[in-house]
Amino acid sequence: MKKLLDFLLRKKHWFLFIVFEVISIVLVYQNNSYQRSVLINSGNIVSGYLGSIYGDIVSYFNLKEVNRSLQRVNGEMEMKILELQEQLEIMQADTVTFRGAVRDSIHDFPYQFIMAEISSNSFVQLSNYITLNKGRIDGIQPDMGVVSDQGVVGVVSQVSDHFSVVIPLLNPKSRLSCKVLGNNNFGYLIWDGKDASCATLEELPKHAEFNKGDTIVTSGYSAIFPPGLIVGTIEEFYNGRDDNFYSLKIRLATSFQTLQHVRVIRNFRQEEQINLEKEAKKNDQ
Amino acid sequence: MINNILRSILYFVVFVMFQVLFLNNIHYLRIATPFLYLYCIIKMPIGISRSGVLIFSFITGLIVDMFSNTPGMHAGACALVGLLREPLIHFLQGEDIADGLYPSYHSFGYAGFIRYVALFVFIHHVTLFLLEALTLFDPLFLLIRVGASVLMTILSICAVELFNFESQKIGE
Repeated sequence: MKKLLDFLLRKKHWFLFIVFEVISIVLVYQNNSYQRSVLINSGNIVSGYLGSIYGDIVSYFNLKEVNRSLQRVNGEMEMKILELQEQLEIMQADTVTFRGAVRDSIHDFPYQFIMAEISSNSFVQLSNYITLNKGRIDGIQPDMGVVSDQGVVGVVSQVSDHFSVVIPLLNPKSRLSCKVLGNNNFGYLIWDGKDASCATLEELPKHAEFNKGDTIVTSGYSAIFPPGLIVGTIEEFYNGRDDNFYSLKIRLATSFQTLQHVRVIRNFRQEEQINLEKEAKKNDQ
Repeated sequence: MINNILRSILYFVVFVMFQVLFLNNIHYLRIATPFLYLYCIIKMPIGISRSGVLIFSFITGLIVDMFSNTPGMHAGACALVGLLREPLIHFLQGEDIADGLYPSYHSFGYAGFIRYVALFVFIHHVTLFLLEALTLFDPLFLLIRVGASVLMTILSICAVELFNFESQKIGE
């Protein structure tokens, strides 16, 4: 017995090593599943706080760029308002009452935006994550969509009280349902871990019609994003692994390198839709 | 002894901060990242118990993981180099190296120190990138990434050691 104890004490670093390796492999494995440990990521209080200080400092460097893009968006919005105003005037000028212009209280717009700033961001690793400076207290929940003024950014995966971690399109775990603007054939957008400005749209059926430069938008099938948000434009296309589908190379609309301000989309009917879909699947079996 | 612990903690804070705030954002040509935080494990004094080194390096890895959203990867790789550090030093410098010495150009010689750093970094990076590749596999790209990052880390560690005046003072 004494010999055994001696042996264990002498070799204690080996046991320590095995324990540590098991812990890290469990962590790596957990990281692969969708629900990750909240403690060891950039959303916890220490690293989130430090990251947001750093983000504050860095954000001064691109103020000019941000300003320019805000001005552009502002201009586009103004154009849209003018367009809508014109349409409204045409309708009002018409003597026939137009029922469509009356607001229907049942068909309320079920989405709301929460503005957030990025406190840490990565775009060159194999699996990228973005940390936002808003969390549960500000109303953010997992599975909410995130967009910028340029286009779709990603989906919220982890939320702590003051921070949240987003899985951006630049992560192999992200799988976004998209369609070509103008027709209803949809495919899935995935990322291959190499280029931060391009992604691949897969499983688009052969009979779909499209051209280079066409716009890709969200399909709205997933309850996370409303339909019609810009994702990117078609850069190239080639045949998929099996010949019934196309694979498209998509130039992403969002430039992840200079991203700073994002909006988190809150869908008031998301829970209802997910529950309904679950129910339907259960009935199916 | 107290001096040793303070020094290790100072190295730890400075280099881990530098790593997570600046170096993690460097990806030269999208392939190479220097992992300079290894310097604080490399510079631990010789003669500390193997379990001590192991615990220190595991915690270092875990904290780097926490900031770079890679749970377990750095921790696993650091635990392995932490365990292999002492045999590595004895293998390169012989069994009769004095306790309490810090690895440096002075104590190991230029070639000896660079050999030590190179092997240390190589073991760490191969483990790290293999753990990372469990999620996504592309062998050629992986090899290029490992090679480029190893070179980058060795260069940055050797450069920092060259300008570490305190280390030169202690060597005298």
